[in-house]
Amino acid sequence: MSHTNDKSSALTQGVIIFAYLAVLTVIEYLIAVSFNAVSILVVVAVIKAALVMYYYMHIYKLNQDSEGDEHSYSYKTDTNRLGLWLFLLSDAFVFAGLLTVRMNLLGFTRPHLNQILGLAVTVVLLVSSFFMNRGETAMAHGDKKGFMNNVLITFVLGLGFLLGVVMVEWRLAAAEGLTASKDVTGAVFYMMTGMHAFHVFTGLIFLFVVWNNARKGVYSAEKHWGVEAAAVYWHFVDLVWIFFYPALYLIGKLV
Amino acid sequence: MKRFFSTALMRGLFWQFVGTLVGAGLVTGIRALMGLSVTDKFFFTEPAWVLGGFFGVLFFLVGNGVTGDWIKWARGIDTPEHHEEHYSGWEKYFNVSLDHKVIGIQYTVTALVLVSLGGLFALIFRTELAQSQLQFLTQDLTLFSQTGPQLYNTLMSLHGMIMIVSILLGIAGVINYVVPLLLGAQDMAFPRLNAFSYWIAVPAAVLLVMSLILGGFDTGWTGYPPLSARAPVGMQMFFLGVFTAGWSSILGGLNVIVTVVRMRAKGMTAMRMPIFVWASIATSLISLTATQLIGLSFQLVMFQRLFGMGFFDPPKGGNPILFQHLFWFYSHPAVYVFVLPGLGVISELLPVFVRKPLFGYRWIAMSSLGIALVGFVVWAHHMYTSGMNEYLRVPFMYSTLLVAIPTGVKFFSWVATLWGGKITTPTPMLFVLGGILSFLLGGLSGPPNATVSTDLHLQDTYWIVGHFHDTIFGGFVFPFFGAIYYWFPKAVGRRMNETLGKIHFWLMTPSFLVLTLLMMRVGLLGMRRRIADYDPALGFDTYHLIMTIMGYLIGISVVIFLYNFFNSIKNGEKAEGNVWNSRSPEWQVPSPMPTHNYDRPFEVIGEPYDYGLANAEYIRFLEPEKSKHK
Amino acid sequence: MRHFVIVGILVIVMASLTYIGLDGIGLMPVAASAQAIPIDWLWNWQVVAMSFLFSLIVVPMGYSLIVFRKKKGDTTDAEHVEGNTNLEIAWTVLPLFLVMIFAYMGAFSLGEVLRVDPNAMIIKVKARQFAWTFEYPDTGIVSTELHLPYNRQVVLEMESEDVIHSFWVPEFRVKQDVVPGRVTEYRITPSLVGSYKVRCAELCGTSHSYMEAPVIVDEVADYDAWISEQKALTAAAQTPEGQGQLLTVSNGCVGCHSVTSTSLPTAPTWFGIYGSQVALADGSTVTVDDAFIRESILDPKAKEVAGFSPTIMPPYTLTDEQIVNIIAYIKTLK
Repeated sequence: MSHTNDKSSALTQGVIIFAYLAVLTVIEYLIAVSFNAVSILVVVAVIKAALVMYYYMHIYKLNQDSEGDEHSYSYKTDTNRLGLWLFLLSDAFVFAGLLTVRMNLLGFTRPHLNQILGLAVTVVLLVSSFFMNRGETAMAHGDKKGFMNNVLITFVLGLGFLLGVVMVEWRLAAAEGLTASKDVTGAVFYMMTGMHAFHVFTGLIFLFVVWNNARKGVYSAEKHWGVEAAAVYWHFVDLVWIFFYPALYLIGKLV
Repeated sequence: MKRFFSTALMRGLFWQFVGTLVGAGLVTGIRALMGLSVTDKFFFTEPAWVLGGFFGVLFFLVGNGVTGDWIKWARGIDTPEHHEEHYSGWEKYFNVSLDHKVIGIQYTVTALVLVSLGGLFALIFRTELAQSQLQFLTQDLTLFSQTGPQLYNTLMSLHGMIMIVSILLGIAGVINYVVPLLLGAQDMAFPRLNAFSYWIAVPAAVLLVMSLILGGFDTGWTGYPPLSARAPVGMQMFFLGVFTAGWSSILGGLNVIVTVVRMRAKGMTAMRMPIFVWASIATSLISLTATQLIGLSFQLVMFQRLFGMGFFDPPKGGNPILFQHLFWFYSHPAVYVFVLPGLGVISELLPVFVRKPLFGYRWIAMSSLGIALVGFVVWAHHMYTSGMNEYLRVPFMYSTLLVAIPTGVKFFSWVATLWGGKITTPTPMLFVLGGILSFLLGGLSGPPNATVSTDLHLQDTYWIVGHFHDTIFGGFVFPFFGAIYYWFPKAVGRRMNETLGKIHFWLMTPSFLVLTLLMMRVGLLGMRRRIADYDPALGFDTYHLIMTIMGYLIGISVVIFLYNFFNSIKNGEKAEGNVWNSRSPEWQVPSPMPTHNYDRPFEVIGEPYDYGLANAEYIRFLEPEKSKHK
Repeated sequence: MRHFVIVGILVIVMASLTYIGLDGIGLMPVAASAQAIPIDWLWNWQVVAMSFLFSLIVVPMGYSLIVFRKKKGDTTDAEHVEGNTNLEIAWTVLPLFLVMIFAYMGAFSLGEVLRVDPNAMIIKVKARQFAWTFEYPDTGIVSTELHLPYNRQVVLEMESEDVIHSFWVPEFRVKQDVVPGRVTEYRITPSLVGSYKVRCAELCGTSHSYMEAPVIVDEVADYDAWISEQKALTAAAQTPEGQGQLLTVSNGCVGCHSVTSTSLPTAPTWFGIYGSQVALADGSTVTVDDAFIRESILDPKAKEVAGFSPTIMPPYTLTDEQIVNIIAYIKTLK
């Protein structure tokens, strides 16, 4: 299935991709619960990541030819896009490093966490990506109202994820004795979720900025690089969680 | 004078000071509310200093104005694409400019300042080492709350990191100035990001120096825990400073890659780019990605100290060797970041002074990429004695030895370029040759470190110190000076003094070679590294005395260079044309380089290094741009 | 063509001279272990390669700088030579062979170094800031000197109490880090009788420079004599003073505190210290009595001695009886 261009089929495609992501997440959870095969969980995560990178983050746009000469808006946007993706590549190294830390220090054990809560926040984040995609699609077709509404929902869901992790999951874990300073299990858990939460937080700021600018009429269907950048960044945050969720909640035996 | 204090530099420093107080005050206030201690040895508690340091950087960047346009964009306000210079003369360089040439000079001069500071530290501890037994850095001395031996460790550690930061800034300086010119671009792809990448390095340097006065630290630049987890507060300033400087390197690398991919002149295919551009790409690929790992490794120690998170603390299940893996995953590729640009300068300048094509251009271009790629999989050769898994040692030995192959390709190509040429040796060429010689010694002292069994003897000795000084001087210091002597006329429209340049070279080079050869000698015979004092019974006193004298001679040569550099800006012999008779695009327009680089864009119609081929033009200028500003 | 021949000859001459010169100046310390043999063997081949490769690059460079100098007044360029694919392939493939050979030699040499003797004697090494302690498990001997018998493989099982240290005797060649939280192994077969020093080879703090201990390789007979003597000392140490002395060895105190009239730069000497007046860092003076010594062990920062401040001594948790014994021992030092 290739990417499409007109609004309604783009929106439909967004729904379909979300459906795939949802099903894969359910499969992931069931696999983890039943026979905990690390390799399959990794494969599922990679598939989810590929779907998000292709259909939501539009990575294929890196390959497109610019319209117009090197002074055109199109050329400059394509240049900006390359810059943004290189930045995300760099950021990915931090998260890869954190995964390495987790594997080295915890091996095939995992912390005792609330699985329902973990699944819930994961779903919330995935749904937020769905709405972000809807919002970006709206703006790409000049629908300012649609964009603002969808981004608002994205923001609320993102905030929900953030509070769900920091205010609920962290407190629950600490109450059960999983603290940052007791041993490495806690240290790794708080560091990974904390670094991710920091990126969610900056993503929320980014979302607010573009929502507000849209309100002021800054963007149009032809010129909305800020929107695309915010969307790609937001999906990246979701992408990281696609790997962090199984790494923290699903892989390995309970300590 | 008043204008100096209103420059972006001074404004930034002022706001950094304010931000430090705000951050520290915030933490102190919160701690007071929580009933925790609010003061400590250096007035504020460690967490207060850390947040203070962090806020200081943020306040600097907002206060000095470099983030101004981005803040406007966030508020939906558009800014003009084309940026005018608000300042002229010296003021340009102390304020925010979006011009890559100004930024390149800012980077270069800041690098020279840090080189001098790092060199000063080295002279201090080299003076102590000139004779066995402590002379002045004794137990009785107390400076900055440190005894002599503690101060020694701090100065030695800071020497390493300040020099590393100066290298990163130095390569950024040359790359930023030169690459857009080589590509025929008007500026880098992201001029504001470029300015930001420069300006973030300034508060980073301040943090590093602050570590000196906040109790110092005793771990060396590598900051290994558990020692770094229990070092004084200065350790946190060091970590924060490096973390901040890392962002300069990451964002700078990003900018270079995008510029090279998107902003090349018409007709400039990959294989028709000047070779220095290939070197810049290879470097930038590493600095964009691997740098994050030193940031992460330091961040983990910082959090271990602040929150008791036991990543590297064995009683809590932590693993000190994990730190080394994370740290060296960056820090090995980092050394290729240090040397690839300089090796690119050597390749770029040789054809000009030999009047012959660069031998095997494609192979040299690919060798830079090859070194960068292989460089990612050799890191654990720094850890052969660390106690890591035994079975890892042999694979890393193989991968490390493999790096010799693309490196060898460069050496052989350089020799083949020289062979049969028509060689002249003005100062830039002298430094190119000195670089080749030093880098050769550095490279040849590498394989014994690569093979595990010999490394068991060599690790943590002065042999290693000699090895990396040779590679760093050969890959960076010599080519850096060479690049400055070479492109100075392009930037300023005047030449640096040739006689002083030759004195600089002939004073620095033999001294440096003797220094590093003696380092290797005493290392083999048992001289450990990072020690403030050594046993007289080892018989190293004479060697050390000579090494210290060599250090001073190098220092004097650098002073001569600095005088030459600054004096020639106003008083150098005028040089407004193609001083070196180079084929490269930037020399086909007058000097100093016009503000917008090329008034008429050019098209590439031939090969960059076709010296000796009749009627072989490299570029052709096109009709002037219809719209001057984009 | 003539140029190539001249350069070829010069390369061989220079490589030979370089190797002979390097070999002649004695680059390595004397080899005192069986493990040094494969290491020095590989090192020697590295020096051969270094000498050859150095000459291979430097000679043509130097030759070019002389013979291919631009003549005065010549404004033309040199011959247009872009490259030579065969040459490129040659100087990629030949070094690849060389690399593979050295990698194999490296693996072989490492294998020889790590050869295990199943009858190796175990000695435990404890490293701490800034002293080494050696424990002989079968006899219960604890010492600040490492005595080893000639020609017998010993495996040191090493632990650190605080930060990363590294065990290195240059004459033995082998080096191994000592890492907190794990036991690292150091396998050595001394092959030359003599007195050596182990010096810490991983920066471990302020007095890293001084963290050393004697390593004495004895003929078997002399080694056995030392063991017997140490065993006797341990047995005889039934008095409080004797027990105290053992404690100061096993806890590494005497790594920093001298017990003779010659003081070490790392800590105040104990010789003659009991009952004397010492100046403190804050300017006051104090008498060295039982209370002062007790406090200094349990809380070294409480009263820092002038000239040794800020203190690098970590606090020690010892029982009252142990402290009493140590004080008794210190009293005997005059």
